[in-house]
Amino acid sequence: MTGMTTRPERGGDPPPRPDVGSGPVAAPVPGQPDGPAPADADAGSTPARDRAQYAVCAFLALVGVLVLVDAARTGHAISAADAIGPKPVPILLGVLLLIVATLYTVDVARGGTGEPEAGEDVDLTTPIDWRTVLLLIGAFLVNAVLIDRLGWVISGSLLFWGSAFALGNRHHVRNLLIAVALSLATFYTFAIGLGVSLPAGVLQGIL
Amino acid sequence: MDNLGNLLDGFANVVTPMNLLIALLGVTIGTAVGVLPGIGPAMTVALLLPVTYGMEPTQAFIMFAGIFYGGMYGGSTTSILLNTPGESSSVVTAIEGNRMAKAGRAAQALATAAIGSFVAGTIATLLLVLVTPPVVRFAISLGAPDYFALMLLSFVAVTAVLGASRVRGFASLLIGLVIGTVGIDAVSGQQRLTLGIPQLADGIDVVVVAVGIFAVGEALWIAAHLRRRAAEVIPVGRPWMGRQDWKRSWKPWLRGTAYGFPFGALPAGGGEIPTFLSYATEKKLTRHPEEFGRGAIEGVAGPEAANNASAAGTLVPMLAIGLPTNATAAVMLAAFQQYGIQPGPLLFERESGLVWTLIASLFVGNLLLLVLNLPLAPAWARLLRIPRPYLYAGILFFASMGAYAVNAQPFDLFLLLTLGLLGFGMRRFGLPILPLIIGVILGPRAELQGRRALQLSGGELHGLLGGWVSWAIYAVVVVVLLWPVLGRFVVRGVRERLVTG
Amino acid sequence: MTVLLGYVPSALGEAALRAAVEQARFRDEPVLVVNTSRGDAYVDPRFAQEGDLARVVRELTAEGVPHAVRQLMRGRDAAEEITEIVETEEISLVVIGIRHRTPVGKLIMGSTAQEILLRVRCPVLAVKAD
Repeated sequence: MTGMTTRPERGGDPPPRPDVGSGPVAAPVPGQPDGPAPADADAGSTPARDRAQYAVCAFLALVGVLVLVDAARTGHAISAADAIGPKPVPILLGVLLLIVATLYTVDVARGGTGEPEAGEDVDLTTPIDWRTVLLLIGAFLVNAVLIDRLGWVISGSLLFWGSAFALGNRHHVRNLLIAVALSLATFYTFAIGLGVSLPAGVLQGIL
Repeated sequence: MDNLGNLLDGFANVVTPMNLLIALLGVTIGTAVGVLPGIGPAMTVALLLPVTYGMEPTQAFIMFAGIFYGGMYGGSTTSILLNTPGESSSVVTAIEGNRMAKAGRAAQALATAAIGSFVAGTIATLLLVLVTPPVVRFAISLGAPDYFALMLLSFVAVTAVLGASRVRGFASLLIGLVIGTVGIDAVSGQQRLTLGIPQLADGIDVVVVAVGIFAVGEALWIAAHLRRRAAEVIPVGRPWMGRQDWKRSWKPWLRGTAYGFPFGALPAGGGEIPTFLSYATEKKLTRHPEEFGRGAIEGVAGPEAANNASAAGTLVPMLAIGLPTNATAAVMLAAFQQYGIQPGPLLFERESGLVWTLIASLFVGNLLLLVLNLPLAPAWARLLRIPRPYLYAGILFFASMGAYAVNAQPFDLFLLLTLGLLGFGMRRFGLPILPLIIGVILGPRAELQGRRALQLSGGELHGLLGGWVSWAIYAVVVVVLLWPVLGRFVVRGVRERLVTG
Repeated sequence: MTVLLGYVPSALGEAALRAAVEQARFRDEPVLVVNTSRGDAYVDPRFAQEGDLARVVRELTAEGVPHAVRQLMRGRDAAEEITEIVETEEISLVVIGIRHRTPVGKLIMGSTAQEILLRVRCPVLAVKAD
């Protein structure tokens, strides 16, 4: 599909994979900067990407080993109602993981790559913007750490404001107002209205 | 036909003021979410799950059903007005729909999409009513080995059919299965993979997994690669259709429904294939072939009907057998489980009221969506002016809120972040997401059924082979494993006809 | 030396265009039409589409004014982009459309015109809609 990127279902189905030369032809979107087909996006960085995939294989192998070690540690508990106990499935999974890690390594060595997920909002020509990602993670962690102490209203506002800031929005005052409004609205609607457990924290008794 | 009586009871339940309000809320949220390309119904249901804990199950499900159908409607608006599919199943709508819009026929395109969706949704829901009870009767006759085989089929279908690389699909499935194993084993009481962390004893909540992988992972991935764009929405007045348009649309609607419903019910069928098939069929059968590629109304009517019908179709295996065929159904299944309700053949016996109310709410929701979308489609398009930093900040905001609300523990937030990073990594390396979710949701059940089956045989493997059903399913599993070879033939042939035809 | 026109497709932008044409004739300078967007939203009504720009070009050609068009979408505000162009190129005058904002409105929504007025070195012509 030249000129128009497909968007995977937000739920994990991959986009219909455009075989070369096939697929419905669509007009380019007006005003949109040229979006390249994902296949030729990283021609220059393919060797580097291949190597990064070995990390995935290593990760899979590591998980497999972890599962097997944990399974060995699990007590053997067979009973009349349960013929095989809790051990076989983890052992099976661990073994399968090691097998898959091996097959994956072979695939990567042969030049196989996994396409990074494309999407409407995703521009794959640029390398990963680590600054934005790390800032987002930071905003998330601030909320995670402070939520119990300061309460949802404050830490949620910080989360929203921080995320908007990380993603590049420069209207600081406006973002703060929206953040506080959202936090208060969700607190009142959900915590007080629906009984969802959100901490009031420092503002206990005021809200 | 006491099912008819049950259905009428369901309607009576839905048509109370409170429930109607909730249905309206659900379809509104669903449409909004469908219009915005970055978010989908699956993620929305996952985000809203913790919030609905305080609600009655009936009300929560009425809302989810609204979101489910609403997503389909909203997606077509964006496809037509912006040439950007709001949902993956709206990809084909954009082809003819946007051309129609550019030629000044946006009103007709929107009208045929909305009305076609309504027609297809209603017919498909009727089919749901008719088809589900026999499927339930069949499912009751299944034993533990058959269920085990069925879930194995799901695993295989999801990894082997979708995506280009089976190794990666399988890796994703295995990770999901491992996540599902964490916690105390239900049968024996042994702790597995809890790594000494007490909070993990209860296992990892499916909602946290879904929200982490979908919402947080998606947000982080988008943040890493944000594409700047600022397209133009084609201005349009109120959608309507002329007589000619009606004449040309009604058969594609019916054909589209016929394609969509069965594909929705098949494991790994999905919403995309029937829309492609519908488009190809309409192109072949049309009396105005010269219009295809330049704005043919049949090219919008058929695919839109197909994708709505497939949405209804996915509910058949989900409700009758407890088998989800796409991500949204998987999350809905998780929603049922959160309430302690297990979809499957016994669902209709035990929770008859709930299920029939849910089905009745689908009809009502469909109608509400037609009323909501037909006059308001241009207004929905204004949602597209929200800057994406707000959208994704909002996603992280609601994700954190939901994850915390599950157990009132910050630990779940750290877990959420870990899963989000996992989701990020999977997107970076091209591992498909759906197998992981299926693995997390179905894995524990599959293990349970497998152990039950083996219990009868005292641990011998032949216990996994039950009646003729399990044999048949295992045969299908083999076919599915060989499907990529066949499938590329069929699907590529369809696509080639679309290009050259 | 060039006249810089900060253009948006609206009545305000049209008014600014007319003023820019007048100034360009008066100074005997070409016009640089600048239209930018942060690209944050899927739809940005301030981002000129092909049709809008074509119309602007037609009008400038009809008036016999030499011109160039620059569209930028780099995740930065219009004020930032215009300021940078003024600093790096020879701009004699910036022409923008301006509309009324209350102090609260400016705090919440920001004011592109105010930022440009305060940051840019060269004279600024702020035009109201007719």
